[in-house]
Amino acid sequence: MDRIRGFLRRPRRPDANVARLRRRRQAAAYIHRNLTKLTTALFIIGYAWMLLIPLSSLSQGTYIDENALQPAQVNTYWNWGDVHTADLQLYQLDGIRERNLTSEQRAEFFRIEFSKLGLAASIQNYTFSTSKGIISGNNAYAVMSSPRAAGTEAMVISASWLSRAGHGALNLRGTSTVLSLAAFLKDYSLWAKDIIFIISDDYLHGMHAWLNAYHGTIPSNLHTDPLEHTSGVIWTALNIDYSSHSFSHLGVFYEGLNGRLPNQDLINSFRLISHYTGGVPMTVYDHLEPSDFVDRLPEQSLFPSWVASFIQQSSQLQQYGYRVRNVVRHLGYQARGMCSGVHGLMHQFRIDAITLFAVPADGPHGFHALGRIVESTLRTMNNLLERLHASFFFYILTSPGTFMKIGMFLPSVILVSVAMLFKGLGEWVTAGWVCEISEASLKDNEAKKPSPAKGTWRNRRRPLLSALIVVVTTHVIGVLVFNLVCSRWFAEYPSFLAPAIFAVVSVIPLLLLPLLSTNAPEAAPTSMLLKSSNLCLSSTVISIMSLLNFSLAALLAITMGVPLVTSYTSSSTMTSRLRYAGYCVLAWGWLVLVPGEVESAIWNWEVLGVWFAPFICIVYAPLVMQAAIVCLQGS
Amino acid sequence: MDTQPAFPVLVCLRLLLAVLPLPGQDLLKHDHQLSSPLTSYLRLNEGLWLLENNINPYTGGAFHHSPLLLSLFSTIVPPLPIIWAVSDAVGAWALLRIWRARQGLSPQKGTRSNAENLIVSVYFLNPYLLLPSLALSTSTFENTLTLLALMFASEGKVSSALLAIAFTVHLTPSSILLLLPILMVLVSSPVSYLASPRPFHGNLKRIPILFGEFTLYWLVLVGAACIMAGGSWDWVRASWGASLALPDLTPNPGLWWYFFTEMFDHFRPFFLMVFSVHLVIYILPICIKFQHDPLYAAFLLVGVLGTFKAYLTLADPGLFLSMISLFPEVHGYLRHPIVTTLLHLHAALLLPLQHVLWVSEGRGNANFYYAASLVMGMAGGAGLVDACWAGMRIAVGDATVWAEEKVDGEKGKGKAIWWEVVQQ
Repeated sequence: MDRIRGFLRRPRRPDANVARLRRRRQAAAYIHRNLTKLTTALFIIGYAWMLLIPLSSLSQGTYIDENALQPAQVNTYWNWGDVHTADLQLYQLDGIRERNLTSEQRAEFFRIEFSKLGLAASIQNYTFSTSKGIISGNNAYAVMSSPRAAGTEAMVISASWLSRAGHGALNLRGTSTVLSLAAFLKDYSLWAKDIIFIISDDYLHGMHAWLNAYHGTIPSNLHTDPLEHTSGVIWTALNIDYSSHSFSHLGVFYEGLNGRLPNQDLINSFRLISHYTGGVPMTVYDHLEPSDFVDRLPEQSLFPSWVASFIQQSSQLQQYGYRVRNVVRHLGYQARGMCSGVHGLMHQFRIDAITLFAVPADGPHGFHALGRIVESTLRTMNNLLERLHASFFFYILTSPGTFMKIGMFLPSVILVSVAMLFKGLGEWVTAGWVCEISEASLKDNEAKKPSPAKGTWRNRRRPLLSALIVVVTTHVIGVLVFNLVCSRWFAEYPSFLAPAIFAVVSVIPLLLLPLLSTNAPEAAPTSMLLKSSNLCLSSTVISIMSLLNFSLAALLAITMGVPLVTSYTSSSTMTSRLRYAGYCVLAWGWLVLVPGEVESAIWNWEVLGVWFAPFICIVYAPLVMQAAIVCLQGS
Repeated sequence: MDTQPAFPVLVCLRLLLAVLPLPGQDLLKHDHQLSSPLTSYLRLNEGLWLLENNINPYTGGAFHHSPLLLSLFSTIVPPLPIIWAVSDAVGAWALLRIWRARQGLSPQKGTRSNAENLIVSVYFLNPYLLLPSLALSTSTFENTLTLLALMFASEGKVSSALLAIAFTVHLTPSSILLLLPILMVLVSSPVSYLASPRPFHGNLKRIPILFGEFTLYWLVLVGAACIMAGGSWDWVRASWGASLALPDLTPNPGLWWYFFTEMFDHFRPFFLMVFSVHLVIYILPICIKFQHDPLYAAFLLVGVLGTFKAYLTLADPGLFLSMISLFPEVHGYLRHPIVTTLLHLHAALLLPLQHVLWVSEGRGNANFYYAASLVMGMAGGAGLVDACWAGMRIAVGDATVWAEEKVDGEKGKGKAIWWEVVQQ
C-alpha cells in the first residue's frame, strides 16, 4: 500500500512545472507585446491575398467531378430543318413585337404554340405587390412527360421575354429557341426526366412567380393561382438568353440569389459541350478572353491608354486583368446577393441552373450551334442518377477553364477576421488594467529630469452593460431604419427621406453619449469595451459570412477591417467629430450617395427575398456606427 | 416565498409565450439543435398517437421517450405548451433555492434581491434553455428534474432528492453522473468551501444507505414503467438503449453522431463502449478534487454532460451556462470567459447556418455541420476547463492581490505569474 502511495506521490521535479508556466507566460506576454505587429501582418497578408485571387497560378483547371454526366459524348440530331422551325417561330415573334401585343396575348400565343405540339401547356397569371406599386404578368409553360420514367424528376429550359442585355432588348431568339426545341425534343424517346419549357414574362419576376407557385412557397405579396400542370423535382435548368442577330461566344452567368452558386459540374460540362459539340467557345459572363480579341484590344483593355504599350501588351498582365474583371464582376453580383440572370432564382429551390448568354457579334453562330449545344447539354443532364454532388458549390470561376477552390480564397477573409478578433481581445485585456502613477513618483519626476514614470498596474472593473446598451441601441436603430426604407413613404419621397434618415441616424448616437461618458477611475472606459465588443462581433460576422457568401464577407473585410480597428478616442474634439462624421458616412452614406443601389436592393428584398438590404441595415451599419461612437466618446 | 420582482414577471412572460401563437414554432420543433430524437416533441406525439391506436410505440424504432412521459401525457394532461412553461418556472425556482441554500439563507426568504433577480433571469432568458423549451423538447423536464434533485439535496431533503435524481436517471440514463455528487451534498453541505478546501466532511457511511434508497426508488420507477408499457421490456431498449447504442443518427450539436455515421459496423460496439465509459471517467476525479464542495462537482459534471453527452441538444450546455450564476465566488478567477463567450457565439451562429447549408440548401454536407458541432464542443470544453481551474484557483488566493504587486511589466498576463505561486 505504501509503495502504491509512494508511486502516486512520486516527487515530481518542481522546476519542470515552473519552467512550463514561465514559458507559457513568456509566450503570452510576447504575443501581447507584439499584438499590433501581429494584427498588422495578418491584415497585410489577408488583403494581399485578396489581390492575388485573380493570379492564374492560384487557380486550377476545371474538371468533371460527377462521372455520370459524360458531357459531349453523344451524337446530336438537331439539324437545319429544326433551325428552319426556329426561324419560322422568330418570324412570328417579330410580328408580335411589331403588333405590340399585351402580356396576356403573348402568353396565350405561346400556350397555343405549345399545345399545337401536343404538350400539356398552360398560363400562369401573377401579381406582386411592392412598396413601389403592383407588378403583374403572365408566364406560359409546358410540361413534356418523360417517355422513359415516371416523371419524378424534371429539367427546365426557359427563356425570359426580356433579355439580360438590357435597354428593353427582347429575348426573341431565345424564346424561339425554346419553342422550336419543344417541337424537336418531343420526337425523341431517350428522356428519362420530364422537360419543362417556360417562357417567363418580363425579366426576373415572371420566373420568380412561376418557381414559387411550382414549389408551393408563395410569399404573402404574391397573388397567383396554383399551376395547372406540374411535374417532379426539378434538378437542373438552362436559361437561354439570345437577343442579338448572331453570336460569337456563349457566356455563362451563374450567380444566384443570396450568393448561391450552382454546382460547378454543370458549368464545366457545358463548357466541354459548347466547345466540342457546338464549336462555340464559352466565356465567363460576356467577357472575351484576351486571346479572343487580339484586334479589339484597346476597347477591352484593363489599362488606360497612357500606360506604356509594353505593359499593355504583356500577356501575363492581360491575363491578370482579364481575371480581375471576372472576379470583380462575380464579387459585384454575389456580394449584393443579386442574381446575374433568370437562372439565379432557381438555386434557392436546389435547382442547379445557369444562363447561356449569346454574346452579340456579327457571327458566326446562330440557331444551329445553339440547338445542338442545348440538346447535348440536356442529354448530359438526363444522365444524372442523383443530384449533383455537394462538394462543388464553393468556387470562383476565374476564367472559363480555371477556377479557385474554397481553400484557396477563403483564408484571405478569415485572416482579416482573425486580426480583428485579436485586436478585440487585446483591447479587452488592456481595458482590464490601469496604470496608476503614485504621487511620490510624480514629485520625483518633477524634481529630476523627466524620466518615464514608474506606475503600478492595477486591475479594474470592466462594466459591459453600458457598452451592450449601445450595441443593442444601434441595432434597434438599424431595424427601424430598415422598416422605414422599405415603407411606402420612402418609395414615394426618396430624395427627401434619404438625407433626412441619414441626418437622424447620425444625430441619435450623440444623444446616447451622456449615458456613457462616466469613466470612473476604477472602471474601464466604455469606449474601450465598446471597441472590444465591436471588433469581436464584426469578426464573428465576417468569418461566418465567409462561407455563406464569400464576396459579401470580402466586402465587409474591406469596409470594416481597418476602419473598425483604427477607431479610437481622439483628445481633440475637432478630430473626433471629423472621424465620427467619416464613420457615419461609411455606415449610412449609401442612403444619399447611391440611391439607385438602394432602390434595387429594396426591390430585390421585397420581390426576390434577397437578404442584402436587411443585412446592411441591421448588421453592417450598426457595427460601423459603434466604431463611430467609440471615436466620439470621451471627447 | 419572498417576492423578487424578476421572478413573477418572467414567469408571466414565459406563460404568455406559451399561450400566444408564435410564428415559426413549427420551425423550432423541427430544429435539430433544439431537440434530439430522444427529446423531440414530434416523436413524443407520434408515440402518443401510436399508443392511442393500441400499437406498442416502442416496436417501430422511432420512439425513444420514457414510458413515464408517455403515461403522463396520455392519461394526466395532453402535451400542452403551458406545461413546458411551468417546468421552466419550476426550474428557475429550484435554481433560486439552490442559491439560497448555498449562501446559507433561508429557503423561503432571500435577501440579496439583485443577485436573485440575476439568477432567475439567467435561467429564463438563456436562449439555449428558452428555445428548446419553446420547441417543446422534453429536455426541459430533464433539466428541471436535475435542478430539483440538486435543490432538495442542498436543502438536505434526502428522500425528495433521491426520488428526483431517480426520475432524472430514468429519463436520461447519462444523468447517473450526478448521483455521486448529490449523495455527497446530502451527507455534507452545499455551502461553498471552494476558497478553503478541506478533506471530505461528512458521514461516508451514510452513502451506501442513501445509494440503497436511490436504487429502491429507481427500481420502483422501472417497475412502474414496465407496467405502463404493458409489461414488456421493449422500452428499455428503445429509450435507455438509445443513448448507449445510438440507433438514430439524426445530426445534433453533440460529438457522437458523426463518428458513428463514419464508422465501420464491426468497430461500432467498441467505440460505443469507449464513448460511454468516457463520460463515466469524469465522476471520480471531479468528486475527489472537489470533495470539499460537492455542489461544485455536480456543476462541473453537468458541464461534462453538456459537452460530451450522446444526443446533445442546446439545452444541455444551457443548463451548465445558467448554473454558472450560482457560483459568483469563482467569477473573478475565470481566465478566459470572453473566449468562451465568443466560441459560444460562433457555435450558436454556425450550427443553424451549417444545418441549413447541408439539409435544406444541399450546398454543404455533413462535414460542415460537424465542423460547427466541433466549435460547440470547443465552447463547452473551454467553459468546463475554465470553471474547473477557477474552482481550484480560488483556493490559493486572491488574484487582485497579485495583480497589484505586478509592476509595470507586461500587463494583462498577471494571472500567469500568480500561477507559479500556485504550483510552487
